[in-house]
Amino acid sequence: MTSAAAPRTQPAPIQEARKLPFWKGDRLFRFLVSACALLVLVSLGGLVLTMAFGGSKAFSTFGPSFVFRNIWNPVTNQYGALAPVFGTIGSTLIAVLIGVPLAFGAAFWLTNIAPPMVAGIVGTAVQLLAAVPSIIFGMWGFFIVVPFMAQHVQPFFRHHFGHVPGIRWLVHGAPFGYGLLTGGIVLAVMITPFVTAVMRDVFAVMPPMLKESAYGLGATRWEVMRRVIVPWSRAGMIGGVVLGMGRALGETMAVTFVIGNANTIGWSLFAPRNTVASLVALEFPESAAGSLKLSSLLALGFILMLLSFTTLAIARWLLREKKA
Amino acid sequence: MSEALHDPSLMSQSTALPEAALAVRDLDFYYGEKQALKSITMDFRKQSVTAMIGPSGCGKSTLLRIFNRMYDLYPGQKATGSVLFDGANILDPALDLNMLRSRIGMVFQKPTPFPMSIYDNIAFGVRLHEKLSRSAMDARVEDVLTRVALWKEVRDRLKEPAAGMSGGQQQRLCIARSIATKPEVLLLDEPTSALDPISTARIEELLDELKQDFTIAIVTHNMQQAARCADQVAFFYLGSLIEMDSADRMFTNPRQKQTQDYITGRFG
Amino acid sequence: MSKTMGEGWRKDPRATQRLVMDRLATVMSFVATAVLVLALASILWTLLWNGFAGLSIAALLHPMGPPGSNGGLANAILGSVIQTGVALILATPVGLGCGIYLSEFGNGSKFATSVRFVSDVLLSAPSILIGLFVYLVLVAPFGHFSGLAGSVALAILAVPIIVRTTEDMLRLVPVAMREAGSALGAAHWRVVLFLCLRSALPGVLTGILLALARVSGETAPLLFTSLGNQNWSFSLDKPMASLPIAIYQYAGASYDDWVRLAWTGALLVTLGVLSINIIVRFGFRSKQS
Repeated sequence: MTSAAAPRTQPAPIQEARKLPFWKGDRLFRFLVSACALLVLVSLGGLVLTMAFGGSKAFSTFGPSFVFRNIWNPVTNQYGALAPVFGTIGSTLIAVLIGVPLAFGAAFWLTNIAPPMVAGIVGTAVQLLAAVPSIIFGMWGFFIVVPFMAQHVQPFFRHHFGHVPGIRWLVHGAPFGYGLLTGGIVLAVMITPFVTAVMRDVFAVMPPMLKESAYGLGATRWEVMRRVIVPWSRAGMIGGVVLGMGRALGETMAVTFVIGNANTIGWSLFAPRNTVASLVALEFPESAAGSLKLSSLLALGFILMLLSFTTLAIARWLLREKKA
Repeated sequence: MSEALHDPSLMSQSTALPEAALAVRDLDFYYGEKQALKSITMDFRKQSVTAMIGPSGCGKSTLLRIFNRMYDLYPGQKATGSVLFDGANILDPALDLNMLRSRIGMVFQKPTPFPMSIYDNIAFGVRLHEKLSRSAMDARVEDVLTRVALWKEVRDRLKEPAAGMSGGQQQRLCIARSIATKPEVLLLDEPTSALDPISTARIEELLDELKQDFTIAIVTHNMQQAARCADQVAFFYLGSLIEMDSADRMFTNPRQKQTQDYITGRFG
Repeated sequence: MSKTMGEGWRKDPRATQRLVMDRLATVMSFVATAVLVLALASILWTLLWNGFAGLSIAALLHPMGPPGSNGGLANAILGSVIQTGVALILATPVGLGCGIYLSEFGNGSKFATSVRFVSDVLLSAPSILIGLFVYLVLVAPFGHFSGLAGSVALAILAVPIIVRTTEDMLRLVPVAMREAGSALGAAHWRVVLFLCLRSALPGVLTGILLALARVSGETAPLLFTSLGNQNWSFSLDKPMASLPIAIYQYAGASYDDWVRLAWTGALLVTLGVLSINIIVRFGFRSKQS
């Protein structure tokens, strides 16, 4: 969203002409900053390679089907990625389904409806809260959301939908409060301020004259939003959503307290599940060096990296389209 | 004209406001505490072009933005007095704003094509207020594009994004978009300030034709433009209407010294 | 309204429907904002209520201790300060250098494009994976956890933030300023370091501070690197305590005083992060305008 692509002309010829006295300085300078750039490149390369090498034992033991094996049993030394990947994607999807409409609504309200004073205060507060460390969301989830889910939400859904065919599987499970839905809700609350802030910024850079043109034709606020502002800022909005999604995918601390940490899959939104990040955080300290379990955890890390990489690539691809 | 004279319901009005599409009476306008327009009283005649001139910040654009209540978008701005349009006071808070804006169209300093195809740009405003069949919509689009002399240039790329047109074409598209909703009044806020001389000339020609059907109010910085296209010219200074007269009189024989100074380029 | 209103004001039959949609959207967007604000208020309220309840001199000055021993968080606070400090010392030169490379030499080359992309990937990479990576590189080979490993993990998180802001800010420096510098006969590196970087300084500092804020609340990268420590630890060579890890260990505990301390720690971390953000947002803005 930054217009950093301004053409710049380097005053290179001037230096070329006087290169003898300053040759050394500039050469060294270029060498140093290139080394920094290389270091950044190498650190990601190292990250991906260590995961891949570390996880190779798991992949060679279980084959490519490691990804689809629904088992995680340290006792029998059988591991598979399906359950934590299921939990990761499931909780992220729930977070996006809850968070994005909230963020869109809030950004619409803040940029187009709220009195400027209120919009300023609420907008700044939301932006600041996007910086709150994720462990705070985890604690809030653990102490506030989990009991609330256990005492109110789960009994309500079990009572009203527990016997409705088609839905009853979704609400199945003992009312512990932990589970996929709780994880998704906490993640939603975590990413919504961020996504709201992005959308608000995208809506705010909309040229006022364009908006006024639409109003000038007699459009209502909602029509201006839906027909002009949203198409105009679609790329930026999607970029924000995908970045929020990336945060949810890789989040550890906000989830590990509330997801229940059970390596299972199933329809129920209320049953305890697990995510890749949470499983790694819990089981890595208990894994011996060189063990198959450690390798399986690293293989999970590799898969998570791929997921995160894919979302970012999608975001960049969508953002690129706007520039063209 | 002759019909109007025989129409009793119009008779009573026409004695007070002859041919006025917009009748401004004692209009004050405030940006928060700051008064931007002071007791403006003037008429905008039907089927004619009224140009508003004056130095930057004199209130001429502000006046234009009152007529379609654009200022409503911004809290803290308020207008008092009255602007009569088709028997209603535009400043009435109970007025249906969306309808008002469909009846009083506006074109801005810079072209503002919406992020959609050329066709959809025109259809956007029409769809808000009317439910037209596919063929009726096609006909409307062709009609307004023809009127702004754009049809031949874009007939083969109606489905392409409007952003791909040249600046002059975009501005003509914006005019077409405004007249597609069949407004009675067209407000133009320095419509050629971002355009090259050739595009400017085409827009000016266009105004001459459009005034057959619309009441046109245009704000301009360009005195020649006012002289070329306007029937009436109003000179504003520091939020007040200094003088208003026919274009001929105004540019040859202004009554006020300030007007004369401005027209001859001594300030502004 | 005026009784003489003309024919043209007759209601458009679809006007009501459009107005209803608009009202509905307005109400829904207000509800969305309200839900968001309520959720965030609930977090802040819980945090302030529980955090201040446990805030005491002992919490700030005593090191962590067994349940019931009137322990505090002092060693964790110190550990956090040391580790984030070292992380910034490591990350700032690398981040600045990489940002300078991208803005000065990074036009169009394949290498620069991939560095930019990699920096973006790192910016949104799951932080726990960075912890894993540093564990494999700096912990496993040496056989023990260390504060330095924790700092390196945090630095890897901080670098991409600094890179991004440095590049963006340097690109905003007017070409005229570079040319003026070169015209005086200054070498490129002098122009960049003493003219461009200086004029971009507020923005670059903002990036460094935001990186600090982001990094100081991170828990996951520290889990397998600096591990945490119940005692005072000043050596970067040894496992080192930190506030986020202390919160993580204490929040799930079944001892009331530990849970209280976890909230107090959470409050301290949040206050720290928020105050940095507030300084960045308001301190720098007022100076610039």
